[in-house]
Parts: sequence; structure tokens; C-alpha cells
Amino acid sequence: MNIPPGWSWLGQFLLYVAAGLLVIWLLVTGYRALARFLGGRPGLVRPLAIAGGVLAVVGALLPWVTFPLNDGPYPDLATLQFFDAPFAVTGFRLFTLITGVAAIALSFVPRIPVRRVLRALGLGLAGVALVNTIFPLIDGGGFGAITAADGAFAFGGIVTLVASLVLFFVSKAGDLEPLPRWNTKVPRLVAYAALLVSFLVLLFAVARLLNSGSDSGGGSTTYSGPIFLSLLVFFAGLFGALHAIGFAGWLSAVSDDHKLFSVLVLLLAALALPFTEAGTDYWMTIAANIGVYAATAIGLNIVVGLAGLLDLGYVAFLGIGAFVAANLSGAAAAEFHIHLPFVVAALVSATVAGVFGAIVGSPTLRVRGDYLAIVTLAFGEIFKKAAQNNIGGLTGGANAIPGVPPISWFGASFDESFTIGGVQLPSGVLYYVLIIVLVSVVMLVFANLKNSRIGRAWIAIREDEDAARAMGIKTGQAKILAFLIGATLAGLAGSVFAHKTSTVAYDSFQFPESVTLLAAVILGGMGTIPGAVIGASLLLILPEKLRDFSDYRLLLFGLALVLIMRFRPQGIVPDRHRRAELAGEAEGGVPIEELNVPDSPQGATR
Amino acid sequence: MATLLQQLTSGLVLGALIALIALGYTMVYGIIQLINFAHGEVFMVSVFGALATYKWFIPQSWQGTWQIALPCMLVGAVLVAVVLAVLMERFAYRPLRNAPRLAPLITALGVSVMLKEFVRNFFPGATAAVSVPRAFVDKAITFAVPGGTVVIQSTGILLVVVSIIGAVLLQTYITRSRMGRAMRATAQDPDTARLMGVDPNRTIVLTFVIGGALAGLAAVLYGIHINTVDTEAGFLNGIFAFTAAVLGGVGSIKGAVIGGFTIGVIKTMAGQYFPGGTEYDLVWIFVLLIVVLVFRPQGLFGEPERVRA
Amino acid sequence: MSPLLEVTNLSVAYGAIEAVRDVSFSVAEGQIVSLIGSNGAGKTTTLRTISGLLRPKSGTVRFEDQPIEKLPAHTILGRGIAHCPEGRRLFGRMTVEENLHLGAYVRKDNGVAADMSRVYDLFPVLGQRRHQKAGLFSGGEQQMLAIGRAMMSKPRLLMLDEPSMGLSPIMTQRIFDTIRELQSQGTTILLVEQNALAALALSDRGYVVDLGRTTLEGPGRDLLADQRVRAAYLGEG
Repeated sequence: MNIPPGWSWLGQFLLYVAAGLLVIWLLVTGYRALARFLGGRPGLVRPLAIAGGVLAVVGALLPWVTFPLNDGPYPDLATLQFFDAPFAVTGFRLFTLITGVAAIALSFVPRIPVRRVLRALGLGLAGVALVNTIFPLIDGGGFGAITAADGAFAFGGIVTLVASLVLFFVSKAGDLEPLPRWNTKVPRLVAYAALLVSFLVLLFAVARLLNSGSDSGGGSTTYSGPIFLSLLVFFAGLFGALHAIGFAGWLSAVSDDHKLFSVLVLLLAALALPFTEAGTDYWMTIAANIGVYAATAIGLNIVVGLAGLLDLGYVAFLGIGAFVAANLSGAAAAEFHIHLPFVVAALVSATVAGVFGAIVGSPTLRVRGDYLAIVTLAFGEIFKKAAQNNIGGLTGGANAIPGVPPISWFGASFDESFTIGGVQLPSGVLYYVLIIVLVSVVMLVFANLKNSRIGRAWIAIREDEDAARAMGIKTGQAKILAFLIGATLAGLAGSVFAHKTSTVAYDSFQFPESVTLLAAVILGGMGTIPGAVIGASLLLILPEKLRDFSDYRLLLFGLALVLIMRFRPQGIVPDRHRRAELAGEAEGGVPIEELNVPDSPQGATR
Repeated sequence: MATLLQQLTSGLVLGALIALIALGYTMVYGIIQLINFAHGEVFMVSVFGALATYKWFIPQSWQGTWQIALPCMLVGAVLVAVVLAVLMERFAYRPLRNAPRLAPLITALGVSVMLKEFVRNFFPGATAAVSVPRAFVDKAITFAVPGGTVVIQSTGILLVVVSIIGAVLLQTYITRSRMGRAMRATAQDPDTARLMGVDPNRTIVLTFVIGGALAGLAAVLYGIHINTVDTEAGFLNGIFAFTAAVLGGVGSIKGAVIGGFTIGVIKTMAGQYFPGGTEYDLVWIFVLLIVVLVFRPQGLFGEPERVRA
Repeated sequence: MSPLLEVTNLSVAYGAIEAVRDVSFSVAEGQIVSLIGSNGAGKTTTLRTISGLLRPKSGTVRFEDQPIEKLPAHTILGRGIAHCPEGRRLFGRMTVEENLHLGAYVRKDNGVAADMSRVYDLFPVLGQRRHQKAGLFSGGEQQMLAIGRAMMSKPRLLMLDEPSMGLSPIMTQRIFDTIRELQSQGTTILLVEQNALAALALSDRGYVVDLGRTTLEGPGRDLLADQRVRAAYLGEG
């Protein structure tokens, strides 16, 4: 009798699990032991930094891959076979080199928090090393990609990984220094100049990032994934270092002091993106999609981030806005054969979506917390079913509503390209501008609401609904208003979406899209203004750059949600004005409450 | 008349499935007030677990013998479901037990997306519907009724019988056994339960184990009852089951069972008789859910929101 | 001989707020010891820390010469400390019998049934209504059940938090009589009370807790006679 194939698979699987657990255990134990060893030895900072820096330089000058992979030789001349010019260092090898040299140099600079800076640089370098080691391993089908059978090794990745660990462990030699605080009382001109330069640098960094590893049109190429990720983590490391020396905190304080100027410059920088290398048709389209999602996510942020009401069917409002706009656009498949000007159609879309928002929000009068989340999920599914079945002939059902014409103002169709001052701008640039305006308006609405009476009422409801009611807040009204305003913003975004994509189909508005929106809000930081935009950008750009992993997009999504809730529930941009609801109050010697029982007596104190 | 009875029968079979899944929701919610959103996906994964057991873990010569194949699948599915449920509790939910309520709910959402995508990506062929081998237990019983006949699958009868027996056993366990008392005590007042020497972690894990085991059981019965499975099975059946649990009153075993049967019957009846037919049957269930939540948030058999001193 | 329970320099904080700072006291085997003090003085927090429901910021709790301040709550009962919490905290949706069963949750021996009938002898009303839900009972009956439940684990130390709270004077007297009886049967008792008069009259030793500190201590009778105690807690002055 043959043994069925599953058993050997199971055996292997369990073996891998066991090996994985062993490796994790070793890593954790090693980490703890090393950290303990380094604990009281601040004298080791400089030697370690120099060692790590030298290793990084060596890593940069070594080959990283043994043979040309299936998709062609690895970028930046990192393949052994092409390794005739070790000093022609570009791309991720250049980042490695820069980090290494910087680490050595910075360890001699007095009066900066060396441990903090090197921790940031080390983490960034670890990212670079991991990306460019793991990717060849996957693409090359195993360890042969970095160690060939004939004994030829491509040690670059390994050496750099070690270097990054050494740099990271510098931070364990003694306590982390306090974050330096710079003098924020600077002359207006200095502040303006600093802000202007910073935002310009940011603009070019973003443009470079978007186009990294792209072809001439901006589309992704074979190795755009690792190239993009390398640059991203390198930038993250640099930013971490800037934060560590106190610059980021200073800049943020300065921009707070000169809010209007910062907002203006930021807006101008955003509008200038089409003039940079990222000004391609491709990126204009992506950027417009990001804008639609960002505007919707900001609307959701009102409901979830401010009022604390979890909505799991939010994309329906985007859909309602899009379908209304499509029906009023004069498209042949539309139910109403009228063609309203875009602005009117957009207002109608927003209003209709807002009305539906109030309807969906009305159960909040009676239903709370988790139950409300399920009710919103139910509404989302009802919308999907209705749209799928072409309810009232309004959605086109499975045929969708195709042929929604582009927005056209003063004879200029929004999907055409045109030239300003001799510069050929990509098609879709007008949509991009429109989206920037839309997102700015939505942000403005959000910012004003947040600091208004109703905003404070929402936050009170989020923190403690009963207490809010006891203080005289009309909680029912406030909650419905949150849904109404959020849905209105989503509907507005939907109207742009309809024209931009030209085909409005129900399957753009399903549960995974709602989860994406929620993830954007959470990833970016609940209740914050830039959070939703950053979250939406990351969630839409990453899949573009990581085409190879597109099958695993949602899988990684789910994992990210779980990990964020576990380790950084406040998101990338935490809301500093609020008692972080999701972060809990875990400061200082907190008593264990409720059910939180340590697993063992040893772990009891915390 | 025949149509009505046929729909009623199908509804009861569906209801039995929903009830089994709903028990998992209701027990977990009862003890830690968490909507374990991923429970539906645990069910789905263990349907594939049962399928995998059948395809790759049973020698071909035995696959046709249901007396051997069925218990093996049961073991496989229950094992998968229980391991998943325990891992989920330990690594996703337990660290968040003191976090605000949104956090575990979002985590549950993340876990459910992960589970679904995991199966879709890594189970051979699961990107589309996978056909289920129908080598056994495929006997239909036909009753003559006025105006036609009513057909009921033997697997359908099995589902109904097992789910009722399961619920009764569970109810007995919860009310009579020492651990059952500990679970109810933890649900009512976790702190005081600890003062009685009840280890809350153990109790909560046990709850997840029981919920998982029931989902595994449901998965096998579902797997042999239908023709194809796909990764959507978890989401929809999970939502139905959750609705059933809410309808019956979260925390109540009797409520989950009655809620399950109600939902099952309403779904088939709505598909037959309500405007829109089967395209809108789901909508009617959601409408029912919303109405119940708005007018009787504690459900039919639930106790009003608990008050802790 | 070292005391049964010894609390040394205990501090407990809720976030930034210190509810208990530097509380020290000890309970000798066979005694009744009471902690008295006004509302919010930190008495309940102290008891909850001894039972492991809260973690101290600093200080130690030793029971039978073993440190227990780091043990999880559910293991404390097994060591011989039963805690009858403030407000009784019965499982209101369970019957009397189920509540008593839970009290004996950690026991593995066969004497549970016998002990249960002993509780019913002590409080006949519980025996008569053993199949009724505990939530339906009056305050005094609930307190009896709470004490009975705590006794089901056969503790060496019984901690009672405000057993007289909300009870009529007659019922209060009844409960205090029961406490004395339990002591005579060999159970050591740590009593937390606002009803300082009754508590001190009963106690072998008393401690006054004020703003999270132990401010006065001495034999119950002495404290009862102390002018400061009388002024602060007995409404005289």
C-alpha cells in the first residue's frame, strides 16, 4: 500500500516549523545575551560603529549574487559574473557604502546621540541587506543564488547584514540618549528657508522613489520591487537618523509655528510633482487613484478615527458617489440620459452619499461597538448585492456603466496631455490637480472639524460614550453627523473616481476595498490628517512596485493589520493630541487589570 | 406545498450548519466579548483541511470506504480548526486583551483576510472552486407529499442530527461540568473567577478549542454535503452564523441553535418567495440582523448587557 | 514564629496615581486582624494586591514565608488565601450551589459535598434555596453566600472586604458573629471595614490605613480607645 503524499509533506512542514522556531529562539536568546553584554559598556560605541561601518563598506564592494537570475542580471552590477568594476558602486550598493562611511564618520562627531543615530542607520541598512538578499534567494530559487556550487561566493548581502546588526547593537551599549531639542525660536526667514528646502527635498525624494526601477514611462520592471524597497528603507534609515539628531522634531515644531506657510509649500510641492521625473501618464493615474482613496480614507477617519465607530462597509459610499456621478454624466449606459456639469454632479453625488451615510449611521443610536461594525458590514454587503443586480437599472450590474466621459472644463478634456511653458505635461495631469484640490479640501474639512465643537464631541464619544452623554453631548446626533460627513466626502471622491476610470462597476466596491480603506487609516494613524494620505499612498504604491508579489497582496495586508495592532496601534503618524486610544495607557507601573494574566510567575512584573 | 416543504427542509439543513458555526461565535463572545471575525474562516480552512485529508492523507484504496474516510476527515478537520483557533487566541488576541475594543476586532479582520488568502494561494486549485469527491454518503431520500416530492440528502439529515446532538452535549458540558462552570464564571466576572482559582487563560483557550472543534465538525459535514467549495465559504457562512448568534442572543447556546435554524429557513424561503429571489436572500438576512440589533440588541434569548460592579 | 501573612512596604499604583504607598502589616496565625480607614484609603487595593489581581509597584507580600506578590491571581487561592471581595461579587446568574462549587474549584479531594452541607448548616437559608439564582438574594443572604463560597476552599487565611456594606445592623451583627465563629474554628481572618467600631471590637489587632499608608496600629481594644481613631472614624471628637 502506498503512503499518501500528504504525510511526507506534513513531515516536511513540521520540520520547517520546528527549524523556524529554533532559529527564532536562537535569535531572541542571542539578542538578549548580546544586549545584556553590551549594557554597561558605552566605551564600545566607537569600536562597534567603526567595525560596522567598515563591514558595510566591504559589503558594498563585494558581489551579492552568484549568477544572472532568470529575470536577467541583478541590478547595480551586483552579480559575480559582471563583477569587473567593484568600485562602480550604484543603487543599493551605494546606499550600503554611504551608510558605512556615515557610521564611521558620525561616531567621531561630538554631542550627537550616536546610539540613536546608528540604531536608525543600522535598521535602514538591515532593510537594504535583507531586501537584496531575500529577493535573489526567491528569484534565483534558493541559496545557489548567493553561493554557487563551485565555491564561488557572493558574500555582499551576508557581510552587509552583519554590518547592519553591528551598527544596530551599538545602540545597546548604554541607554539611548534623550532626543535633542533644537531651538525652535528662529527668524522667520530661516524657518521659511528650512521648510522650503525640506519640502523640495521631500518632493524629489518622492519622485525618485516612485520612479526607482521604473522604465521610461514609469511602469514597473523586473527588478523594480527590490530597487524600490532598497531606496525606501534607505530613506527610512536616513529619516530615522534625522529624527535621532532632533532635526525632524525641530522641523515639525517649526512647521507648526508657520502653519500657513508649510501648508502652502506642501501644496505647491504636491502640484509640482508632474514637473519632476514622476510626471508620467502612469504615475498620474496612480496618483489620482491614491487621491481618491486618500479622500475616502479621510472621510472614514472621521467615523473611525475621531468618533471611534468602526465601519466595515465604507467603500459603499465611494460606490454610491461613483454610480450617481456616472448616471448624471450622460454615459450611454446610464439610467438618466442627462449630462450635468461635473461640479453639479459631484455635489449631487456627495449629497446622495451623505444621505445614505446618515441612514447607515442611524442604527448607531441603538447599536454599539462591535455590533455596529457588523451592521455596517451588512450595509456594505447589501449595497454590493444591489449594485451587482443592477438595482433600478442604476448600476449596470455585471455590465457596469462604461463610457463615463472624462471631465471637461472650458473645452479642455481632463484626460488629455498638454504643455505649459514648453514643458510637456503627462495626460491625466488635470485629474491629478483636481485630486490634489479635492484632497486638500477634504483635509481642510477634517482639520476644521477635528478642532471644532463637534470634533471634541466625537472624541468624547470615542473615549467614553456614556460620559459624553452625561456631559450633555447629543451623542446620537453627533454619531449620525460623523457618518453623514464621512460619507459625503467619500461620495465626492466617488464622483471623481467615476470620471477618471470611465467605467463604474460594482466589483470596485467590495469588502476587500473596505478593508483597504480601513488599513490605510490604521496604517497611517487613526485620527490624524496626514495619516490617511500616507496610508493610502503606501497601500497603492507598494502593489504597483511589487507586481511579483501581487498574489500575496491581501495576505500581507492581513498580516500587516495584525502586526500593527500588536506593535504600533497608533500607526505611522500617531495623533499626539489625544490620549492614544489604541495605544492604551501602558505608561509606568500599570496594574494588571481584568484578564491580563502573565503566563508565568517570572513574567508577572512589567 | 411540495416546494414549500422542500425549501423548509433545505433551510433546516443550512440552519444546522449555521448553528454549528454560530456556537463558536457565541461561546467566544460570551467569554471575552470579542467578535471572533475569523471564526468563519477557521471553518473554511478546516473544510479544506478535510478535503486535504481525504485527497492526500488517506490511501486511495480506502477513500471509497466512508467508515474509514469519514472519521479520518473528521480528525483532520478538527485538528486543523483547533490548532488554528488556539494559535489565533495565543498570538493575535491574547496580547490585546487590555487594548481598546477596536484593536482586537481589527486584528480579527486581519486574521480572517490572512486565512482566506493563505488557502487561496497555497491550496492547489483553491483560486477557483474546488470540487469535492462524492464517493460516499450520497444517498437521497425522497418523500412523496401532496403536489410532488421532497428530496433530502442523507448528509443533510446527518448535519441536522449532529448539530442538535452537539448543541445538547455542549449545553450539558457548560452547565454541569467543573470547567463549564469555570467558563461561565469567567464570562460573568473574570476577576472574581480568578479569586476562585480559575485560570482565565486556560478557560479562554478551552473556549476557542471547543469553538474550533465545532467548526471542524461543521466543516466535514459541509464538505460531504456540497459539490464544490471555495474560499468564499468562510465569509458568507461566517456572517450567517454570526447573525444567527446575534439573533439568538450572543452567549446563549440555545439562542445560537434556534438562530441558526431561523436564518437557514429564512434564507431558503426568501430565495423562493421574496422579491428578488436568491439574488437578494442575503439582503433579507442582513435586514433581519439590523432590525434585531436595533430593536432587541440582546437578541431573542440573550441577557441584557451585563453590569459589573 | 513568623506571621502567616506579612506585607512589607507595599506600594500600588494605577497608572500615575498611587493608591497604596508604603503599607506594612502582618497577620498572625489564628488572629482576626482588621484594616480600617476611610473611603479611598487603599484598603481594597491592598487586598486585591495580596490576591494577585493587582501588581505592586514595590514592596513584598509573604504568605507562610513565601513571597507571593508576583504570583498570578488564580494560584493564590491554592496557596490558602481566600478573598471575599468588596460588593460580594457573586455569580448572579448561577445558583447557590454552583457558586459554592466554584468556591471549591481548586479542590481535588472528596470532601466538597460535606463542606457544602456544613455551609448550609451555618446558613440554613442558603440550603433551602440552593437551586435559586444568587442574583435574586438579599444583601445579607448574598454576603452569607459570599463567605460560604470563600470557605469552600478551606482557606488558612480568609480576607473579607467590607462584609457589612449595605447590610442592616442585625444582619451586620450576624455576619460578625459568623466571623468570630470561623476564627474559633481555626481560620485566620483579615478584615477590611469602614465600620471601625464593630471591626475593632472583634479584632486581635488593627491597622489604620489613611491615604495609602498605615498610620496607626495596635491591639483592637487599644485602637478602639485611641482618641485619634475615635475622632476620625467613630464620629466622636
